[in-house]
Amino acid sequence: MSLKQQIDSMNMNEIVDLCIDQEQQAIHLYTMARDQAKDEHAAIKFQELVDMETAHKVALQKFELENYLDLPPADLKVTDYLMEPVFNENLSTQEILILAAKREDKTAKMYQDLANHFTSDKKLNTFFQMMADEELRHKHNLETEYEKEFLQEG
Amino acid sequence: MKREQPQSFNTISVKERLIIPRQVMPEQDPLLRSGNFLEVNLGLSAEQAVIEAQRCIECKSPSCMDGCPVSIKIPDFIQLICNKDFLGAADKIKEDSSLPAVCGRVCPQETQCEEVCVVGKRFEPVAIGRLERFVADYAMLHSNGSPVTPDKPQPSGQKVAIVGSGPAGLAAASDLIKEGHEVTVFEALHEFGGVLVYGIPEFRLPKKILRQEVANLEAMGVKFVKNFIVGRSMTIQELMEEEGYDAMFLGLGAGLPRFMNIPGENLNGVYSANEFLTRSNLMRAYEFPEWDTPLYRAKHAIIVGGGNTAMDAVRTAKRLGAEEASIVYRRSEEEMPARNEEIHHAKEEGVKFMNLVNPIEFIGDEQGSVVAAKCLRMKLGEPDESGRRRPVPMEGSEFTMDIDMVVIAVGNGSNPLISQTTPAIKTNKWGNIIADEDGRTSMEGVFAGGDIVSGGATVILAMGAGRKSAIAINEYLKTKVWSVV
Ligand SMILES: Cc1cc2nc3c(=O)[nH]c(=O)nc-3n(C[C@H](O)[C@H](O)[C@H](O)COP(=O)(O)OP(=O)(O)OC[C@H]3O[C@@H](n4cnc5c(N)ncnc54)[C@H](O)[C@@H]3O)c2cc1C
Repeated sequence: MSLKQQIDSMNMNEIVDLCIDQEQQAIHLYTMARDQAKDEHAAIKFQELVDMETAHKVALQKFELENYLDLPPADLKVTDYLMEPVFNENLSTQEILILAAKREDKTAKMYQDLANHFTSDKKLNTFFQMMADEELRHKHNLETEYEKEFLQEG
Repeated sequence: MKREQPQSFNTISVKERLIIPRQVMPEQDPLLRSGNFLEVNLGLSAEQAVIEAQRCIECKSPSCMDGCPVSIKIPDFIQLICNKDFLGAADKIKEDSSLPAVCGRVCPQETQCEEVCVVGKRFEPVAIGRLERFVADYAMLHSNGSPVTPDKPQPSGQKVAIVGSGPAGLAAASDLIKEGHEVTVFEALHEFGGVLVYGIPEFRLPKKILRQEVANLEAMGVKFVKNFIVGRSMTIQELMEEEGYDAMFLGLGAGLPRFMNIPGENLNGVYSANEFLTRSNLMRAYEFPEWDTPLYRAKHAIIVGGGNTAMDAVRTAKRLGAEEASIVYRRSEEEMPARNEEIHHAKEEGVKFMNLVNPIEFIGDEQGSVVAAKCLRMKLGEPDESGRRRPVPMEGSEFTMDIDMVVIAVGNGSNPLISQTTPAIKTNKWGNIIADEDGRTSMEGVFAGGDIVSGGATVILAMGAGRKSAIAINEYLKTKVWSVV
């Protein structure tokens, strides 16, 4: 069964749980990466990502989504064409930022796809749109950081 | 504290001064110079320097000094030039700057002293940089080739190690030797000067200037050790504990090239700006075959970036014989961090500017050599934190162009060697050493300054940081009091 078909048969609470599960997977991945990272600053960066995803998960759990009503900032696409690094314990901060931005991009696309699928269901459509926008906001923040540090052009 | 107005030697009325045109510095002809590595700017003549100095209107509160990161006493040295006391003017600059012949050539004056020059509000600003260069060159020439050595101070009995011979390290060494300490500079490369020799090309900054500066320091008693990588040849602890250094200054620079992380960056013919410029400058590729360092003579070389490094690389590629040499830059010319003069010179020399273009892949042939670049066209969006408008890709704008050489000049990071071998020295998440404003690091007796602390910046800021640390090191050696960072 595809994700869309699954969602068709779910109620709103179950859908939110599914999204929470998505966030939990990310938290798990970043926590593992944090614990394995050899470089202290890479570990700190992964912790920041854990914090970001945890905040999102908590908001979903409490269904506090008002903060997410703002339109997302422009998609800078800074990392779209970059090579995706493979997870390993020696990732540099540059690679971590690429990896995380790409992950946010993929999740945003998944939610956007769902929002587009459920256009006739206003509630679901708004919910997924908000989720997609939030992921894009994360991507924007990561890419802003990337641009500032790794594309100084000096 | 109120500044004392320097003695005026200008006899011309302010009104008349304002109609004197800014003196044009002679340059090598663009066509000629794009085929040689000789210096492009030829410097003002003494007559021109005096006329230019007379353009200064002697403001009561001169803003030019505020624009200078090391507060050179600009109005004072300009008046000395009006009085034709060129050596006096050079001494005045030396009170605040250790490397005037360098800074007179490479400082971005248009965004520093000259940007805030009061004359510049209505007319062209006084050419402070050109005047600085003139007096520094004059002083070098009139010391008859023999170094200017102040009287030797009483030996303090203390030893200081300087790691890195860039502007930060040289400035620190110069101030510390005057205090009677035993000063040794350790340099990883086989020439001294840091970016000033391995990065900035001969046509912008002749190496003989650095050699003279180093010779001056040697004559003052500074010891120079080359091909010595601190962290590999010996660690910081070993130098302190086994070699008995009482204090250390780390002026390691930001020499680790950054790449774009796009496909094809490991193809033959794709260089980091660092490697490309080092091969040309330090290993004399430009004198091939007399010097045994080949560098490919490209049909079309593209240089990715818009800073001074990119301009140096593109102008070097042109001089090495590239039929076409282009800058490929994500933003527009307005956002380019390179000095205006470098952009202007590059254009005169026939460099092509492909602005608002971003490579997304390099394509190779069967031998693994780069043959094409896939690029996207960009448009400018909202401004970022730095106020520069952000480039965003244009949908469906992808195109491919034939190229056979790429130089990546998107910035540099810091080398992790020291942080890996000396964990006691704390670094931030970008690998820069954490230091207080006098350069104290988290390890007692160890100071740091320049690009390794600030990230890639400018020569004058690195030099200023070296001098600030020298004062703090001196204080530390006297008191042995250490405040924890
Ligand atoms: C191509 C290029 C062009 C530039 N153009 C300009 C310009 O026009 N104007 C301007 O103001 N700025 C310019 N800059 C920036 C400027 O050169 C730097 O900000 C400045 O040189 C920094 O000085 P520094 O002393 O901190 O380090 P550096 O000049 O980088 O010197 C550091 C030195 O430390 C040595 N070193 C590093 N690690 C070790 C170790 N472990 N053991 C021993 N030695 C070590 C290195 O080999 C190097 O020689 C340019 C930079 C580049 C790359």
